[in-house]
Amino acid sequence: MPGREQRKRRFTPNEMFWMAAVGVAVVSGLFSLVVSILLIANYVQVQAITPLDNPELLKLRQQLAAAPEADKNLVDQIRALDLLTRKAFFTSQAHLKMGGYLLLGGVAVLLAAWRTAARCRPRLPQPGVAPPSKSYWTSRARAGRLVASAGALWVVVALLAAFFTRLDVPGAGTLPPAGPAQVTLAQNAENATTYPGWEVMQRNWPSFRGPGGYGLAYYTTAPTEWDAGTGKNIKWKTEVPLQGANSPVVWDQRLFLSGATDSVREVYCFDTESGQLLWRRALDKLAGTPDKAPKVSDETGYAAPSMIAHGDRVCAIFANGDLVCYDFDGNLKWGKNLGVPDNHYGHSSSLMAYQNLLFIQYDQNSNGKLLALDLAEGHEVWSVIRQKISWASPICVNTPFGLELVVNSEKNVDAYDPLTGQPVWELACLDGEVAPSPAYSRGMFFVANDNATATAIRFNPSEPAPKPEMAWQWDEALPDVASPLGAGQYFYVATSRGQIVCLDSSTGQAAWGQDYDNGFYASPILVGDRIYAVDRRGTTYVFKTGPTYELIATSRLGEDVFATPAFLDGRAYIRTEKNLFCIVNSNGT
Amino acid sequence: MKLKHLAAAALLIFAWAHETQAEFRFPMPEFESGYKHPEMNTPLPARIPAAVDITVLFVALGATAWSVVKLRSRSMVFLIAVFSLVYFGFYRKGCVCPVGSLQNIVNALIDRNFAVPLVVMMFFLLPLVFALYFGRVFCAAVCPLGAIQEMCAVCPVQVPRPVETTLGLLTYAYLGLTVLSLVTGTGFLICRYDPFIGFFRQGASFNMSLVGGGLLLIGVFVARPYCRFLCPFGVLLRWVSLFSRWHASITPAECIQCRLCELSCPYGAIVVPTPSDRPVDRRTGAKRLGLLLLLAPVIIGITAWTGMTAHEMVARLHPTVRLAERVAAEERGLFAESTIDSDAFRAGKQAPAELYAEANAIEHRFKHACAWFGGFMGLVLCGKLIRLSVIRKSSDYEADRGACLSCARCFAYCPVEAGEAPVEDPHARS
Amino acid sequence: MSDKPTIGRRDFMRVAATVAAGGAAWTVARRGDEATVWQLDPAKCVQCGRCATNCVLNPSAVKCVHSYPICGYCDLCGGYLQPGAKARNTGAENELCPVGAITRTFVEEPFYQYTIDEKLCVGCGKCVKGCNVFGNGSLYLQVKHDLCVGCNECAIARNCPAQAYQRISVRTAYLLKTRDSGSGKQG
Repeated sequence: MPGREQRKRRFTPNEMFWMAAVGVAVVSGLFSLVVSILLIANYVQVQAITPLDNPELLKLRQQLAAAPEADKNLVDQIRALDLLTRKAFFTSQAHLKMGGYLLLGGVAVLLAAWRTAARCRPRLPQPGVAPPSKSYWTSRARAGRLVASAGALWVVVALLAAFFTRLDVPGAGTLPPAGPAQVTLAQNAENATTYPGWEVMQRNWPSFRGPGGYGLAYYTTAPTEWDAGTGKNIKWKTEVPLQGANSPVVWDQRLFLSGATDSVREVYCFDTESGQLLWRRALDKLAGTPDKAPKVSDETGYAAPSMIAHGDRVCAIFANGDLVCYDFDGNLKWGKNLGVPDNHYGHSSSLMAYQNLLFIQYDQNSNGKLLALDLAEGHEVWSVIRQKISWASPICVNTPFGLELVVNSEKNVDAYDPLTGQPVWELACLDGEVAPSPAYSRGMFFVANDNATATAIRFNPSEPAPKPEMAWQWDEALPDVASPLGAGQYFYVATSRGQIVCLDSSTGQAAWGQDYDNGFYASPILVGDRIYAVDRRGTTYVFKTGPTYELIATSRLGEDVFATPAFLDGRAYIRTEKNLFCIVNSNGT
Repeated sequence: MKLKHLAAAALLIFAWAHETQAEFRFPMPEFESGYKHPEMNTPLPARIPAAVDITVLFVALGATAWSVVKLRSRSMVFLIAVFSLVYFGFYRKGCVCPVGSLQNIVNALIDRNFAVPLVVMMFFLLPLVFALYFGRVFCAAVCPLGAIQEMCAVCPVQVPRPVETTLGLLTYAYLGLTVLSLVTGTGFLICRYDPFIGFFRQGASFNMSLVGGGLLLIGVFVARPYCRFLCPFGVLLRWVSLFSRWHASITPAECIQCRLCELSCPYGAIVVPTPSDRPVDRRTGAKRLGLLLLLAPVIIGITAWTGMTAHEMVARLHPTVRLAERVAAEERGLFAESTIDSDAFRAGKQAPAELYAEANAIEHRFKHACAWFGGFMGLVLCGKLIRLSVIRKSSDYEADRGACLSCARCFAYCPVEAGEAPVEDPHARS
Repeated sequence: MSDKPTIGRRDFMRVAATVAAGGAAWTVARRGDEATVWQLDPAKCVQCGRCATNCVLNPSAVKCVHSYPICGYCDLCGGYLQPGAKARNTGAENELCPVGAITRTFVEEPFYQYTIDEKLCVGCGKCVKGCNVFGNGSLYLQVKHDLCVGCNECAIARNCPAQAYQRISVRTAYLLKTRDSGSGKQG
């Protein structure tokens, strides 16, 4: 070990070494600078021409896909561009790596040379410039002031941050709440019942077209393929005693359907696990029930409106105006006749419920009404006079402006406050005999009918009250039975002529359109990122949402289907003309 | 046309497949030509045994302590720093590092299920134990982050003491934010914002490379900016080092107040003797200190409260909160397009209402965590102010135990030889 | 450093602290130290493409692997060909992989073998998506441990929209798909 004398650093300058060191430092510094600039340029270049999503290449590929035949010219272009981008990509990667090492080496040499230079022209040990006394105290005082200002700065910044940033997550009080999980109504002691809130409704299939009635399933898993012929993925199949156009509604483990003829009206309860018919109830004559049922069209039938399942109640309405409410064990809680509807095809508006209210869109040629009845007892809570007839069903939507009950009729789309019946907005944009119900997605509504034009309605979210305006209109391939569906950025229309069109909600342009063999009466439903459309012959097409058509699977039931399927907990329930199917993936996913 | 063919083909294959496997869409082929498929390449990671790392760390710390305390050799310390840069930095790619290990320790205290490997535990404890005895020898030559900055400290400039003290508050803030991030489940901030690890593993995001490069460039003139103004582990080392037994001392024997070392420390870690005159008399000074002590709870209360009010902005650090905000905004129609995250969310099983509930719960946690963080910063502030008000009399030039990084630069500036009488008349120089 | 009785107390505190630290280290060592690595669960992956862009390394340590027992060896391969490809050959206009990392070789009628060149693969997941949509799902992404540096907090894991990343024991190191499971199983 060298002695202390030799180990002690000598503050002796060395001009020759210094010049050499500075020279090396300058050269290596310049080298490092050049390499750094090249690296940055390389990085920028890699970002621009990455083969992963090169826009030009994408465009060419799209052209090729759209062309009916493989155009030689186009193919050559794509091949050339693809080779170019790939080569450039990998060369850039190699350059980046090499450049990194070069830079490392350059900087190492630079630092070594610079340090040697600094060593060769050392600063001799010397005291600080000013005598320590005065500067000692002033610097201490200044330090104290600076620290205190830092504290003040913290407070100011924190308050500014608190003032200007607000988290916009619903449930924290910034958005109108969707409704508490449980609402207890103490009407009188024995009738005090809790009604399920919005979240619980979402988890079931309480009405036609799902929770809220606009076609969105809460559960995102469902089987995509099945075959009634082979029994693939068919869990059970049960016969439904009487026919009806109404769609299955499901709550917890119970599935409800109704069926009717001109003389009999029945309500059925099935077990979702086994398909077993747990109970069936035929309606007795209620006060006001006519002796003869009104005339209805064959397709509509006497049990066209779908039921509503809500909490522990299930309600059904029939073409003669009979409205009944049972509990889940089949005990009749109340029933009344609303008056025979003046409806030439037959009443078909399905029921809707929220909190303790049951909504009935009783639009007719004359004496039309929108009713809200109390679910517990059946008395009227509010009603609104309606002008025009309709065969569409109400939807209950949680919009940015609050909860709205939106209904279609021959001329208008109207929105009401569900709890009070106060009109919120209306827009005259429909025509003809309206059977399709409204669609909703991301603050926009979409209504369509044959003999009218499809209209997309949007609102300005910064306005205090909703003011509807027509975003765009569209008039090719319109539905007359199946309701359109809003899914993310797109609206989907399924027509009775077998067309399905995907429209971009922001522009109204058709992203794609497909023709199928048979028409659609069942409304398409969104499950996760897939849409299920069942045609009249019972063939279900499952395709992906999005601007390009992507069919996932086709499944057959082999029976006619008019009703809209229900999706719950990884299962699909489809009602055919005579039967009810439960479809589950056999491996349990 | 295409669709029908594809659909037909799919149906055909599907129907046939149903006979063989119901699970896979397309059946497994039966090869007649005796084809054998290639094996999948699943390499295992090359692991350095934990014992090797721990031993190297221990030896490096011991060697540095020896070089600082016994040998008093700057060149040895520098050489060990080069070794640490090469081994802990470029060879081990800067991970595990003691700076980040404090996150694992804190996380293990919060989450019972979080396992801390022995290597991480030792990387956390060994530097602290050595600091307890020898001061911040870890910072001197063993930390790779410190070593890389040390290489760049070529023309160090003296930073004015007030600025140094105030910027030092950032280290506490970083430590507080790290703990806050762990308590709220946001992630490991130190790992994410380590500016130099990108150089060690030759892979980093563009932004972090720029930050690292920038810090090194600054480090040429303001020596070790990360260590002095950002390093959260440095806070712990600073506290522990205050109690060190054999801390580095500028003079090998007695200080002769020759003042030659005043400009030698690039880190401003030299404590100068207290001048005899004072700007204020003892009584006023004591009154001021008393007032400060009385106000301290108020100050801490204010900073805690302001921290709490700002929690919504901080909560956005958490990915679930950001996702909930994005999904809510998309539901309201404020955005035309969805992001990858919101798409993936919608394809999953969770309902938006559940997501919102989760986000709100996390926001609530942030509220408490930010209040504590604010209080902590208030405490640090008061601590610094009190320390500035308390005058500790010192008559010699010595290393500030908390701030001194034991780099041994100042040793050469001291003319005193060990075991010898002072070289020159001490009064001749002043 | 004067010899005051307080130094004796300080010495004691130092030793006590050191002993406590040693105790803590010993407890951790006793609990059994199992090294873990980051890995991607192919059952949860949604093929968002972030594995290629978020890894701290460039190119990413995540690569596509091919489970040959699950593969159908189809002529019309959903992971190799672009959807709507006009011809089933190795032309660049038909290839789905943006960097051309999949090689298609004829085995016997009507089967083709698809192999992945790991030196080219960037881990973007486009072939995985294609194989899942129209295929058996035999192509999937995995973290390669000869490349992965094993960060304390994986940058991809942090940004994975499906939370598909987890720490698993280094002894298993991979979550492979097998013919029996069809989905990610420790292999």
